[in-house]
Amino acid sequence: MSDVTTNELFAILLARDLRPEDRTIMVGANMPMARAAAVLANLTTHPDARILIGLGVHGLGDGGDPPGVYPFVFDPRSLVGEALMWQGRVFDDMSRPDVFFVGGLQMDRRGNINLFGIRDGEGGWRMRGPGSLALATMSTSCRGYYIVMPSHDPRTFVERVDLISALGDRAERERLGLPGGGIRLILSPLGVFGVDEDGEVRVRSLHEGVSAGDVRAATGWPIEVGDDVPVTAAPTADELRTLRERVDVHGTLA
Amino acid sequence: MSPGRTSVVASLEEAVARIPDGATVGLGGAVTAGHPMALVRALARRGVRDLTVVGPVAGIEVDLLIAAGCVARVVGSYVGVESAGAVGPVFRRAAQDGTVEVVDLDEAHVVAGLRAAGQGLPFLPWRGGVGTAYPELNPALVEFDDPVRGEPLLAVPALELDHALIYSEVADAVGNAQPVGTGHMDALLGAAAKHVVLQADRIVSTDEIRRAPEKTLYWRDTTVVRAPFGTHPYSNGWMTADMEHLRAFVKAGREGGAALEAYMSQYVAGAGDHDAYLEAVGIRRIASLLI
Repeated sequence: MSDVTTNELFAILLARDLRPEDRTIMVGANMPMARAAAVLANLTTHPDARILIGLGVHGLGDGGDPPGVYPFVFDPRSLVGEALMWQGRVFDDMSRPDVFFVGGLQMDRRGNINLFGIRDGEGGWRMRGPGSLALATMSTSCRGYYIVMPSHDPRTFVERVDLISALGDRAERERLGLPGGGIRLILSPLGVFGVDEDGEVRVRSLHEGVSAGDVRAATGWPIEVGDDVPVTAAPTADELRTLRERVDVHGTLA
Repeated sequence: MSPGRTSVVASLEEAVARIPDGATVGLGGAVTAGHPMALVRALARRGVRDLTVVGPVAGIEVDLLIAAGCVARVVGSYVGVESAGAVGPVFRRAAQDGTVEVVDLDEAHVVAGLRAAGQGLPFLPWRGGVGTAYPELNPALVEFDDPVRGEPLLAVPALELDHALIYSEVADAVGNAQPVGTGHMDALLGAAAKHVVLQADRIVSTDEIRRAPEKTLYWRDTTVVRAPFGTHPYSNGWMTADMEHLRAFVKAGREGGAALEAYMSQYVAGAGDHDAYLEAVGIRRIASLLI
C-alpha cells in the first residue's frame, strides 16, 4: 500500500468505521478526507444515509450523482443534491447529525481538541488558529465524532491542550451531562487511536511501517504502546478503486 | 393612483459612506462562498476605522479590512481560506501582534446571537460550548443553570449590528433579495442589523421577483448596490472561487510588508472602484470562473 496517500488511508478508515445506524453524516470546512469518507460510505455501505457536504445535502443510494470532492467545496458546484445547507438553519435540528469530523492544532491525552490557537500567557496569542467553527456544538450533540490529526508530533499530541474547542474528556462530558456520544476514533499519520473506559487516549493500531517507538517519540505524554498492537488493515483493492474512480475523481487526496 | 415605490439603489461608495468609524458591521457569506467583496473593498478604500467586524464563517474579507487598518475587533467562528490557507494570514498576524481583538464564538453561537438581536432579546441559551474554553476566551458568554431543568448552559448575548453587508445574486430596486441556492447565515445577519447593504450581480424588475416569491429575503431598511462578479475571488451561484487569486493573497498576506502592500495597492486602494478591480483581475480570469 506504499502508493496510498495518508488522506486516502484516512478516508477509507473513516468510511469503514461508520455504524450501520448512521443516517446523517455532516462534514465541515477544509476536511477533504472526511468528505471523501462520507461519499464513499454513501455509495457503498450506507445507501440510506444523507451526507452534508459544503452547501449541498446528498443521498446517493438511489443512484444520485456523487458530489465532487473538490479542494474548495463551498461553491456553486456543490449547490446540487436533494437539499441545501443554510448555516442559519442547520442548528435547528440538533437530533439530526449522527456523525461529525473534527481537526485540531492540538489534541491531548483525554481527547480534548484545540483549534483556537496557543495563548502567550499574557492574554494574547502566541499562535492564532482559525477559530473553532462549530466544533463545540457538534461534538456536544452528535452521536459520535471522528478526530483527524494531519500531523503527529509532541507539539500536536500534548499532555493538556491550551484551550478546549471540543470537549473529549469522558468524565467531564458525563459530569456536565453532554448529550452526544463523544469520540469514536482518532486518526493520525502514525496510527488509529481510541478512548478507553478510563478516558485515556490509547493506540488501536499502527499504520504499516510505524513502530511503537515512533509513536512514543511523537507523543507528548507517556503513551502506552504494547508490543502486540496490530497493524492497521490496509485498504483493499476494491476500496481504493471506488475511492479513486468514483469519489476522489479530481485527485484532491492524492 | 399609487405614488410608486422608492428606489433604494445606490453606488458602492454611497452605500458604504453611511458606515461610520466604530460601527459594528456584519459580513455575509460562508467559507469560500457569497462574501460581499465589492462592498468590503469599497469600505477598505473609504478608510473607516475601529470597526467591530462580525463574520460568521469568514474569509479574506476580514484580512482585507484589517490590512486597510479598519478593524478593532473580529467576532466569529472562523477566519480562514479553506484549503488555500488554514488561517487568514493578516488576521493571524494581527491577533498575535495584539493589534486586533478576537472575540471567539462557535458557529451556532453566532446564529443564537444574531437571532437574539433579531428577536429583541438580551440573549439566547445554547448548550454547545459548555465545558470548553469559550467562557474564558469570551467573557460575554456566561454559563448559567437553566431554570427549567437545572442544566448548565451558555447565555449567548444578542449580536446587534449597525450594518449588515450581504450578497445576493439577484435583487430588485426596492430591496428584495433572491439568492441562488443557499443564503448562508445572511437572513439572520440582516434581521440583527439596523441597516442592510445588499450587493447584487443583477438588479431585476420587481415583476421578475414576483415569479418566485418563495425565494425572497427582505429587511426593513436596505440599500441595494450593483456589482457584477462582485464576490470575486469568492464564489456565487454562477461563479466558482478563484483559487489562484486566493493562494496569491495568502502568500502576500503571510509575507506581509511590501508584498501585502503591493496586493492592497493593486486590488484595493489602487483599483479606485469596482470596475478598475475587475480590470486588474482581467476578463480572461473572470470568464474562466463562470459555470
